[in-house]
Amino acid sequence: MKDLKQIYQLETLLQEAHNDLVRQARDRGEIAIGSTCSLIPEPLVNLPGCFSVRLRAPRTGSIEMGTYYMTSIMCEACRAILERAIEGGYQFLDCMLTADSCAQMNRCVENMEHLKLCDREGFFVTYADVPMKSDETALRHYVRQMRQYVLEPLEKRFSIDTSDQALQKAVALHNRISGLLMEIGDFRREENPRITGYEFAVLCLSTYCCPKEPLIPLLEETLSELQSRQPDQHPTHRAKVVLAGSEIDDPELIRMIEEAGALVVADRFCLGSFPGREEIRLREGEDTLAGICRHYMESGQCPRFMNTDKIRERHRYMDSLARRFHADGIIYQQIKFCDYWGYERAYASRVMRDEYGYPVLSIDRPYAVGNAGQLRTRVQAFVESMEIKKLKRR
Amino acid sequence: MGKAMGSEPLGRFYSGKKAKKRREWRGLKDTWYDYVHWLGIWKTLIGFMLRISNLRAFFRYRWMVNYLAVPDFFDRHTEGLRGTQLRITRTALELVVTDMCKSMGVMFRADPALGNDKALNERLVVFDENMMSEIMNGFPNLKWVSVEVPAVYTCAMMAQDSLFYYLDKAQEYGIPNDVCPMPAAEFGVSLEDDYPRIGKCAIQCNTTCDGSLMGNGLMAARMGIPTFQLAVPIRHGEDSVQQYAAEEIRNAIAFIEEQTGETFDWNAFFASMKDFNQETAHLLEWYEVSRSPYPQFTDNSLSLYRYAVYMAAGGREKEFLRRDQKLTRLVMRGYERREPCAVKLRHRAITWGVQAAYYTAFAGWLTNCWGIVPLVDMLTLCSTREVNTEDPEKAIYDLAYLYEKMIMRSRSNGGYEVGVADLWRYCEYFHADMVIMYAHMGCKSMSGYHGLFEEEARRHGIHLVWATHGLMDARGVGRRDMRTEVNRYMRTVLREEPLDPSLEDFDDEQAW
Repeated sequence: MKDLKQIYQLETLLQEAHNDLVRQARDRGEIAIGSTCSLIPEPLVNLPGCFSVRLRAPRTGSIEMGTYYMTSIMCEACRAILERAIEGGYQFLDCMLTADSCAQMNRCVENMEHLKLCDREGFFVTYADVPMKSDETALRHYVRQMRQYVLEPLEKRFSIDTSDQALQKAVALHNRISGLLMEIGDFRREENPRITGYEFAVLCLSTYCCPKEPLIPLLEETLSELQSRQPDQHPTHRAKVVLAGSEIDDPELIRMIEEAGALVVADRFCLGSFPGREEIRLREGEDTLAGICRHYMESGQCPRFMNTDKIRERHRYMDSLARRFHADGIIYQQIKFCDYWGYERAYASRVMRDEYGYPVLSIDRPYAVGNAGQLRTRVQAFVESMEIKKLKRR
Repeated sequence: MGKAMGSEPLGRFYSGKKAKKRREWRGLKDTWYDYVHWLGIWKTLIGFMLRISNLRAFFRYRWMVNYLAVPDFFDRHTEGLRGTQLRITRTALELVVTDMCKSMGVMFRADPALGNDKALNERLVVFDENMMSEIMNGFPNLKWVSVEVPAVYTCAMMAQDSLFYYLDKAQEYGIPNDVCPMPAAEFGVSLEDDYPRIGKCAIQCNTTCDGSLMGNGLMAARMGIPTFQLAVPIRHGEDSVQQYAAEEIRNAIAFIEEQTGETFDWNAFFASMKDFNQETAHLLEWYEVSRSPYPQFTDNSLSLYRYAVYMAAGGREKEFLRRDQKLTRLVMRGYERREPCAVKLRHRAITWGVQAAYYTAFAGWLTNCWGIVPLVDMLTLCSTREVNTEDPEKAIYDLAYLYEKMIMRSRSNGGYEVGVADLWRYCEYFHADMVIMYAHMGCKSMSGYHGLFEEEARRHGIHLVWATHGLMDARGVGRRDMRTEVNRYMRTVLREEPLDPSLEDFDDEQAW
C-alpha cells in the first residue's frame, strides 16, 4: 500500500517524549502534565491551558540506573522510564498527576520525585487512589480523588479553569480525537484492511503522547486519505489477530508481529484504542466530573479491577472485539515482571482458548523488542498453527 | 554445654539432614521447662489427631504432612534461649499452635470430604489469607476461617520445601515464575483442589500486593461460593481515602448479612474490640521495653505471635488476652532483672521488608551468630491506634483504618512515607543502628525502593544489610545464601567475628 502522508511526521513525534508538538505547546504557555496511567481520565489533564503526556522511553538502550534504583525484578517499562528521567528526558514537565494503580509504576514515579529528577520550578507530583472495582461506592471515591489530586492542584497551582464548561470542552476534544480514531480503526474490520495495525498504532499512540488539538488536522487528513486508499491486491498477512495485554508504547512490536504474518486488527492494551478511545457520553443531569469518572470506571478493562463481574466482563469484551474485527486468534502479551498481566495473561488465555474457542498465543516480552528474534519465531509458529486449523476446518 | 547463654556451639545441631532428635542442654531448670513444653506440643498434636476428621485430613490434603515438623519448628525458634527469653517464646508460640489446631479442626469438621457438618458449614465465612478477621467480631453466631493459612502460610514456616509442588502447579498453569510465591502457591493449591470446600460465603481483599490481588481473582472463580471483594484504599495514609474505606467495610458487612441472614451485633463487636484494644496496649508495653538496653520480647517470637493476635484472633479469643497479660509479666520480669536477650547485644536491628517464610528462625540465627538482635520486624509495625468501642459511626472508621493497616499491606501499599520514611523513624524510636533488609525477590512493592533505601541508610548512618530470599520458594535463594549475605557484610564491612563460629556456615538445605 502507498504510505500514509502523515505517518512519517507522527513516527518522528514518537521518537521523543519531548517532541515538537510538546515544545510548541510549551512555547504557547500551556502546562505539561506527566501521566502514567489510563485511570487518570484524559479530559481532566487536557483542559484548556494544559495537556498530558503519557510517559514513555522511546529508543531505550541501557536501563542500568533504573535497575539500580528498582532492581532487576521490576517491570522494564518502569525501569526504562526512570532511566529516561535520570537522563533528564522529562525536564519539560510542570507536574505529574498520577494514580497509585500499579505498584511498580508508582515506585518509578516516587523515585523520580524523591531523586528530584524533574527540577522545573514548582514541579510537583500527586498520587490518586483510583478504583479497583466498578460500583457506585467506588465511583464516589474516584470523583473525590480526581477532584483533590487532579483538578484542585491544576486550579490552585496553574489557575487552570476546571469548571463544568471547561470539562465539557475537554470531553468534546477527547471525543473528536476518539471519533476520528474509531473511524480510522474501523477500516481494520474489512476483509482486506486498508490500514495496518502498525499504522493505526502510530496514530493512536500519538494521541496519548502529544497535545491533542494539533493532531486533529493530521487525523482528519489521514481519514480522508484512507477513504480512497487501495489495499494491496495480495495482502501479506496470513491471519488476523487481536493484540491484548500490558502497555505497548512502541509500535515496532506491532510491526514485528505483522512482519511475521499476523495482522493486528484490534488493539486491546494500555495505550491502545480498546479501551481508551471510545466516545465519552455524559448523562443528562449528572455532574460532568462524575460522568467522566463513570466512563473511565465502567469502560476500564485493566486487570486491576478485581471484582469477579469485571473479570468475566474482560473475557466477554475480548470475545466481542475478536468477533467484530473478524480475528482468527488472540495474542496476549505482557511486559516481563508485570504482576497484573502475569496473572491475567495466564488466566484469560486459557479462558479464551477453552471456553471461547480462540487460538491464543501467550507471551511475556522485554520492554524494548528491537532484538526479539524469539518473539518473531513464536508469532510465526502461531500464524502457522492458525493456518493449519483453518485448512483442517475446510 | 551449660546453663549460660552461648555456652555451647549451636551449629552442631545441623547435620545436613532433617533433624530427628535435637536436645539442647540449657541447665537443669531450663532444660526441664523446655522438655515439658516439648511434650506439651506433642500432646496438642496428638489430641488434634484423635478427632477422626482431622486424622482423615492427613490423607486428604498433601500439605498436612508438613505439620509433622511442628516440634522441630519449636526447636529452631528456641535455639540458644535461656530463662525468661525461653519462656516468652514458648508462651507466645504455643498458643499460636493451639489456636491453629482449633481453627483447622473447625475446617475439617465442616469439610464435605471429611466431617461434613452441614450446619457448621452454613456458619462459616471464609476470609482471604492476608485479611484480618475483625469484621467477624460483630457476627458472634458465625465463624471466621481462612483456608489458605494452614494450607500455605503456616505450612511454609514448618518445612522449607512444603510448597514446591503447588508452586510448580501454578507455573504449569502459566503463572510467571517472577511473581510472589505466596499468591502463586495459594493458586496452586486451588488448582489441585487442595482447599477444604467450605463456607457459606467468602470475603477477599486487595491485600498485600498486585500479585496477591490477582491471585484472589483467579481463586474466586474456583471457590464456588458467593465472594465479596473488599477494595481497601492503596493510599491509606491519606485522609481523603478514609470515607471510601469505611463505605467498603459497610458493604462487606452488608454482604455477610445478606448471605448468612445474620445481623451485625454492635455489642458483641464492641466487647471483642475492647479486648483487642487491651492487646494493643500490651504490645506498646513490649515496645517500650524493646527500646531499652534490655529488650525481651523481640523479632520472630513477637512477630509470629502478633500475626495471630492482630489478624486471626482479633479480640474474639479471650485466651490471647490472658496470654498477653502473662507475656507482659514475663517481659517486665526479664527487664527488671536486666536479663540479656543475647550472648552479646552488638547491634540493635530492625528487620524491614517481608521475612522469608521458610526461614523464620533467621532472626534467632542473627542473634546467636553475630549478636544482631532484631528488635521488631516490619510486619508487626501495623496500627496501634485504639478502636472506638462506643460509637458505631466512629468504630466503622476505626475498623476501616485497621483494615487499611493490615499486615504487610500497611507497608507494601501506601507509598514512600510508610514504605521508606517510617523505617528511619522506627530506627530512631528503637535506638537501632542496623536494618536487616529482607529483599524478597518476588516483592515488587519493596524492591522498587532499593536504591532509595541504600542512599537514605547512608544518610541516616544506619547499617543496611540485605538478606535476599524467595519468601516461600527456597530453591532460588536458600537459607544458607541468606546467612552468607550477612556473613559477608559482618566480616568485610564491620570486620567483626561471629559470637558462635559454628553458626557462620553450615548446611541445612535438607532440613525441615
